[in-house]
Amino acid sequence: MIPDDLAQLFHEELRDLLDSLDRGLLDLRATPEDPALIDQVFRDLHTIKGNGAMFGFAELSGFVHGFETAFERIRSGAAKVTPEVIRLALRARDEIPGLLDGQAGTADARQALLSDLSAALSDGAAVHSATRVANPPSLGQQDARQTHWQTLQFALDGAAFDLGVRPDLILAELQTVGAVGFVAETDAIPDLAQLDPSVCHIVWTCDVPPGVGEEAIADVFMFAEATWTLVAKDPAPQAQPMPAAPAIDTADNPPTKTEAPSAPTPSAAPTVRVPAERLDALMDAVGELVIVEARLTELALNSQDAALLATAEQITRLANGLRDATMTLRMVPIRSLVGRFRRLVSELADHLGKPVNFVVQGEETELDKTLIEKLADPIVHLLRNALDHGVETAKDRQTAQKHSVATVTLSAAHEGTEVVVRIRDDGKGMDPAKIREKAVAMGLIAPEASLDRSQIFALIFAPGFSTASQVTEVSGRGVGMDVVKRTIEGLRGRIELTSEPGQGTEIALHMPLTLAIIDGLLVDVAGERYALPMGAVQEIVELPADKTNPDTTSDFLDVRGEFVPFLRLRAAFDCAGEAPRTQNVVIVSASGGKVGIVVDRIISTQQVVIKHMSKLHAHVRSISGATILGDGKVALILDTAQLITLGHHQAGSAGHARGAAA
Amino acid sequence: MSQGQNQRAPTRPQTMVTFSIGPQRLAVPATSLLEVMDPLPVTRVPGAGRLVPGVVNVRGSVVPFADLGAALGLPRGGDVANHRFVVVEVDVGGDLSTVVIHADAVHEVASLHPEAILTASASLSPWPAEFLLGLYKSGDGFVILPDLVQVFSTLAKKPSTPSSNGTTI
Amino acid sequence: MKKTILIVDDSPSIRRMVAMTLGEIGYDVIEATDGRDGLAKALKGPCDGIITDQNMPNMDGLTFIREFRQQTVSRGVPIIVLSTDSDDTLRQRAREAGAIGWMVKPFDQAKLTAVLRKVIG
Repeated sequence: MIPDDLAQLFHEELRDLLDSLDRGLLDLRATPEDPALIDQVFRDLHTIKGNGAMFGFAELSGFVHGFETAFERIRSGAAKVTPEVIRLALRARDEIPGLLDGQAGTADARQALLSDLSAALSDGAAVHSATRVANPPSLGQQDARQTHWQTLQFALDGAAFDLGVRPDLILAELQTVGAVGFVAETDAIPDLAQLDPSVCHIVWTCDVPPGVGEEAIADVFMFAEATWTLVAKDPAPQAQPMPAAPAIDTADNPPTKTEAPSAPTPSAAPTVRVPAERLDALMDAVGELVIVEARLTELALNSQDAALLATAEQITRLANGLRDATMTLRMVPIRSLVGRFRRLVSELADHLGKPVNFVVQGEETELDKTLIEKLADPIVHLLRNALDHGVETAKDRQTAQKHSVATVTLSAAHEGTEVVVRIRDDGKGMDPAKIREKAVAMGLIAPEASLDRSQIFALIFAPGFSTASQVTEVSGRGVGMDVVKRTIEGLRGRIELTSEPGQGTEIALHMPLTLAIIDGLLVDVAGERYALPMGAVQEIVELPADKTNPDTTSDFLDVRGEFVPFLRLRAAFDCAGEAPRTQNVVIVSASGGKVGIVVDRIISTQQVVIKHMSKLHAHVRSISGATILGDGKVALILDTAQLITLGHHQAGSAGHARGAAA
Repeated sequence: MSQGQNQRAPTRPQTMVTFSIGPQRLAVPATSLLEVMDPLPVTRVPGAGRLVPGVVNVRGSVVPFADLGAALGLPRGGDVANHRFVVVEVDVGGDLSTVVIHADAVHEVASLHPEAILTASASLSPWPAEFLLGLYKSGDGFVILPDLVQVFSTLAKKPSTPSSNGTTI
Repeated sequence: MKKTILIVDDSPSIRRMVAMTLGEIGYDVIEATDGRDGLAKALKGPCDGIITDQNMPNMDGLTFIREFRQQTVSRGVPIIVLSTDSDDTLRQRAREAGAIGWMVKPFDQAKLTAVLRKVIG
């Protein structure tokens, strides 16, 4: 039986191989003659076939064998890669996962697919099937051998010793099939002066019992460079000597040294695959450590014991190092997602009849694995929008004097403590006037509202801004954009959108590097402590004295000329008691805008380990998670995106106040 | 197996843990009990309502704190020195979740025969029948068997408003 | 003393499977991910036998065998090619390159064990 971890490794590897196959096929479409790509595709197929067979997936292996056979024509140069070939090959590739989990379609359908593929590759000519000429049945004296003892004579070829052939093992194995009476003929051994000790000069003979056929003997010599004859003794017809393996004297035909591949790729560093759960467990442990470390530091500070302080400092450093190392372990390159996207873009471009060149930059950029998984859907959404609504038809592009093939770029890069994923198209861009019109019609904004470009673009992220058909009308792209935004912000990221009419649109997803531990700003509200993700914090100001009374003032703050709505957490959270005389306003921003959060005081900044809230608190909107502080108590992590929405909602309900302020 | 099934179809005597909230005794199966601990600081979750008002750090995990008494319409009371946190594991909407329940006192571990369980009739009992698996007589009073799965699954689905009174969910 | 077998294969699952079998029957195992890596490890030693895949990136199995056979340390080291192909010309070329045998995938652990016992002892 195959052990679980091995089976898991097999599945993981297969997934990688399928991704690689996807990428290879799609790249091949762009550069159909690239021999390296053809080799890679071929190798992927080959490995899938071999692994499938090794792990007992005979049907899969058989199917991929057919696939590979068809593709062999490309490798041998007999056929060319065409879009049709790629299309069929991708469909064939899609059959593979089903063959693993038993969800496969019918064998007939697969056979038909392979036939189509072969046909596409044969240019009308018949496809050579990989038929092998069966070895002719061995000559022999079966009858005599059944009844008579036989004599076996064998000699090792000149190079046998060099190749690692061991006469002792061969003799031992012959004994196991019943051979007796071994004689070593040493006549052929030359004088010492001429003796090449690496060549075996001995010829052996032995008696083999009746019934032992050539097959059994061939089996013994399967891995030996030997010449042997097996003849029946006594009144038997004379047999011709018959080498089991063609005698090849490699010493006389020194192998030619082959050139090293022209473009050597550095061999990959050794890697270890680790199940994700183990990484999660490690991350949890490190999380605990960070908490205990905070507690230790607190105790050390209180004690003022120099030795304890020094130790605590060391622990802090070590814990930080361990945390960073652990986070690195969880990082995977965004490449793991890209195959899927190439596929999507390619198919969608075909479907829409819009020629698109899909460019990927920064595939090696690494992101937390949980984040990567959760980013897939939003990116798919954005790519789909880019092709569907952003990119024009080839005809329209020509009219606009643009290159008829549109370019859609997916790029990923590290910028500071963020990873920025950009989806860019060179399509028709978005028209602010039309979006505005639409938003007014929907009652999202007042007709006289004054909004700048970015505020207008932000409208497309409003829930229910549009349905697909309506979006196409306004040449915008609102399909599920509110969902995308929510997802991204749920991951503590933010979205930025820029668009130029006629030039195209770019959407940038700014994501934190990791999900598990963040820098938090710890604040105090009526004796309760809350954490705010530092990434969202823009600045901290003191609440102006004239704004302290909630009953008499509008909840807007003039931050260097910009009017920012603010939210009093004491009120929002139904806190008891009186606010202190001086309060602070933490200005947080996200794609939805800015809001000031009024708190009693700032406590500190510190690393916080994010713990998720249970289902019982799933409905609590303004909280995104919780963390355990140094003293063991729980502090809640505020959901800045929700607070911004809340702040703006509040500001909206006091609409005239905004007008007055502006 | 969910705890609800455990409670609904007992064929053998079950080991129960009894505790009280205010004057009322309650019992939950020992199999769903993780531990009983001295009260810990509860962090209030704004907007969560009074039935699951906060969270507690239970050995490094952030666990919701549920006021079972409020859900069942029971007043709190008793000597603070006897207050305990009862940590249970319950199927909440399909996932096994850990929940902390406040108990005014924890009493004993008792064996309960299924035949002794009476059905809580909506018209006769003062408790919300939909949240009870049944009740049984013990000494001079009744011990109620809260349907934790039902209670918490309802709480997860439909948050209470902060202003609701104790008997509505 | 335990014998050391070098496994050269670009597929981690095949490497692991072979390594497990070999480990169970008492060999030490060194793994290499392609011909180039295999050559480096074979030359560095210890190496009492080699099992190599044919179709690999960077350097294929046959090239690896030829390169290795150029070196004197390769003397007496048996090499078995493990491949999905059962193509006779390829087998022939493998022999010419200096392999001692050819095993076609799939194979089971018993077969692999038998072959190793036969070749390496």
